Amino acid sequence: MVKVYIDDKAVEIDEGLNVLRAAKANGIFIPHYCYHPAFAPEGSCRMCLVEIEGQSKLELACSTIVKEGLNIRTRSPKVIEARKAVLEFYLAEHPLDCPICDKSGECLLQDYYEQFGLFNSQFKDNKEKKEKRVKIGRNLLLDRERCILCTRCVRFLNLVTGTGDAGIINRGLHAEISIYEADLIDNNYAGNLVDLCPVGAITDTDFRFKTRVWFLEKKESICPLCSRGCNIYIDFHPGFPRVKMSRRVYRIRPRENENINQYWICDFGRYNYAYLDEQRHHKILMERTGHSLGLSWDKARPMLSEKIKGLVNLKKSSRVAVILNTRLTNEELFLVDRIFQKELHLENIFVANPQPGKDDGFLLTEERTPNRRGLAEIGLPALAPDLKTLAEKTDFLLIFGSDLTESSSLDAIKAAFDKIRTKVLLTTHSSSLDSVVDIIIPTPVIAEKSGSLTNVEGRVQEFSPALEFRGDGLPEWQLLLDIAKELKINHKYFWSLDSPESIRRQMAKEIPFFNR
Amino acid sequence: MEEKILTRGFDIKNLFEIDVYLQHGGYKAVENALLGMTPSAVLEEVKKANLRGRGGAGFPAGVKWSFVPQKAETPKYLCVNADEGEPGTFKDRYIMSHNPHLLLEGTIIASYAVGIHLALIYIRGEYEAIARRLENAIADACERGYLGKNILGTGFGLDVIVHRGAGAYICGEETALLESIEGKRPYPRLKPPFPASVGLFQNPTVINNVETLANVPLIILNGAQWFVKKGLPKDGGTRIFGVSGMVKKPGIYELPVGTSLRKIIFEYAGGMRKGKKLKAVIPGGMSAPVLTADEIDLAMDCDSLAGANSMLGSAAIIVIDQETPIFEVLKTVTKFYSHESCGQCTPCRIGTSWIHKIVERIGQGDGEEDDIDAIIRLASNILGKTLCPLGDAAALPILSLCRKFRGELEERLPR
Repeated sequence: MVKVYIDDKAVEIDEGLNVLRAAKANGIFIPHYCYHPAFAPEGSCRMCLVEIEGQSKLELACSTIVKEGLNIRTRSPKVIEARKAVLEFYLAEHPLDCPICDKSGECLLQDYYEQFGLFNSQFKDNKEKKEKRVKIGRNLLLDRERCILCTRCVRFLNLVTGTGDAGIINRGLHAEISIYEADLIDNNYAGNLVDLCPVGAITDTDFRFKTRVWFLEKKESICPLCSRGCNIYIDFHPGFPRVKMSRRVYRIRPRENENINQYWICDFGRYNYAYLDEQRHHKILMERTGHSLGLSWDKARPMLSEKIKGLVNLKKSSRVAVILNTRLTNEELFLVDRIFQKELHLENIFVANPQPGKDDGFLLTEERTPNRRGLAEIGLPALAPDLKTLAEKTDFLLIFGSDLTESSSLDAIKAAFDKIRTKVLLTTHSSSLDSVVDIIIPTPVIAEKSGSLTNVEGRVQEFSPALEFRGDGLPEWQLLLDIAKELKINHKYFWSLDSPESIRRQMAKEIPFFNR
Repeated sequence: MEEKILTRGFDIKNLFEIDVYLQHGGYKAVENALLGMTPSAVLEEVKKANLRGRGGAGFPAGVKWSFVPQKAETPKYLCVNADEGEPGTFKDRYIMSHNPHLLLEGTIIASYAVGIHLALIYIRGEYEAIARRLENAIADACERGYLGKNILGTGFGLDVIVHRGAGAYICGEETALLESIEGKRPYPRLKPPFPASVGLFQNPTVINNVETLANVPLIILNGAQWFVKKGLPKDGGTRIFGVSGMVKKPGIYELPVGTSLRKIIFEYAGGMRKGKKLKAVIPGGMSAPVLTADEIDLAMDCDSLAGANSMLGSAAIIVIDQETPIFEVLKTVTKFYSHESCGQCTPCRIGTSWIHKIVERIGQGDGEEDDIDAIIRLASNILGKTLCPLGDAAALPILSLCRKFRGELEERLPR
């Protein structure tokens, strides 16, 4: 630790930190464009100039490392004037097309002008004309008039993806970002360039012109599309209460976590967000000779419990089977283990997951569910479903998720399921599996529930709902608890549990892995 | 005429040939240094000579060398800055074309002092003929054992490579020069770290101007004291002044550091052409703030010019007569810097071109009342806020032109 003075306030700072981060840690924001904590200081944007006692010139906050006794001024008249001066240069040649710019509302040119500028334009000459829509990647468009040449994109492609797809061509006022020849930026992390761009120079065709950012709500979540557990923001429109427009997710963005995804997410996780809104189940449905019947959980709960209880009472609890998936949270898998393995001693607990994909060597893992590690740590078997066994030995089948069709044909599933008296499907989305089960209970996706997930490296991450779950169904942990209470097994144990937090506490007591 | 030391042999026919050079006492300095002095003795001698950098910044060469770690695990490099991009400057080309072996001698001695085994001469691409002459000189020196693995049997080895620049003013900035040699876009680097610790290919590097190195053999042959006496105590030796503009005899003049500017213009360069009157002088290359006709009673050394709010720079003197409109001078300056701004940092990229746009508009007769104030304001806003010295190099002459010749410039504006 070193002691420095920032705006006359004495503060203790970690050694090795630059002035910009030191100030930030003490609640003082120093504007900057080119600096990004993922990269070494570039020093080209000149926005972070601060006054350092003993130095005749203003110094860069991004490249000055704190030293014992450093006296830094971030709000002196000289600094304020310098910021204004530099900002004026940025805006002089800027097209000021905010009304049609996607970045509007979260643009650092706008923000800094509001905070540090507020001058009138003195620019009386003609602005440079440059290309305004250059396709540089599958989903990326570059607007060279808006570009401020901070080179964050160039550095990302050099240092993070290592693909070196872009550089600067031409000189001075004519300098511009360019890809080489016609090779589009084509890697699984290209979408990060849009977040990285501090202005509206790189925009995403997936998001472009669809909404304005100030209509969006931003909530924290964890990406469930592979087992990395990248931290994300979900940006969505909450919908209008009286107008027929329901919630809609517009984009996924990375949320900083230095231990897992740093500042990035992959394009697989970024662009596959339609599942949050599309093809969702909303109602509990019961299949009755050709037509389906709506049902409330209050009615469904005793019905399901009775069926299980019936088998248990006949000492036939082994005729109950469960198919899991590892999109379930640690808490839910823990309850499955406690209810079906430890209490009811089921023989047939299977796991049906989506097919593995390709590991991309950085964040995206082969495994495409978020909690396979959690399953292993809880001690549940990871057996693939055996349709023959199911058909012969099952009267009541509880299925979590619709991934069974990935490993078996629907015909084979139907043939086996016809021999099973009751099939209950807990699922988030409609699928062909719906047609072969008796009861469908909608469940929330990860973004809509609470709990924790264990990522591929064994990191347990808790999360809360980012989005509201709008269905008659309920989260699996709640459903499992309801059934356990209804079955009146181990009364004391299950009645003490009433939330993911309480389950998590219990889990920590019983499984050392979660006691951290 | 003052005694020439650096350009003394320039009138010897074919001095660039190694045989002729050797006949005239060539490579004696290398022999003295490598055979008779330790590296640290060489370094001390150059330090004592107060040899200041001839490229523009005027930093003492010996001090610069001493910043390089003596014991480095990694290779160390010497880069000879032969980019000579500062408008008005044409001294290094004379040295390299007339006396390439003198530069090589300086290069060898400097490398010996610092412990360098590879030197690169970064020469501007336009100097193709000179680059070839240097390459021939290097080949000859290798053949005679003055370069190569084992120079004069001392065990000290040095290779010299000629690297041709690709034509940008910014490449003369030492860190941009390094980037250019590395094959990258010549963007100046953020300092610190300075090249002496992290330079070419991340290794300790010395960067010296051609004229600076060409002085080194003279110091070794004649001693530091002799060298200091040729100039000023804190600024030793001579300078090669390149005089251009409206004088009778433009050209290079080697004169002691501290010679009066008036004397250079009116005696050595023969005074003003055809009875024209002096209006202004740019004393150290285009980036030096302009001096008016009344301000030329100045000693031409780094400190005196700094005292006059200008700079000695590369000692390129551009003489402007009464008939030359200052507006045209300003336009040349702004055009040059807006064209040569590398574009890396914003105040310089946008600032220089914004100013040039205003100047162009004034030139078209569309000037506005407050345009000169606007130029002054913008140039002041560039000053001290850029990543490399180019921003200041642009802002300072513009400011001096606008302030010292405001009346004349305002005549271009509508009344």
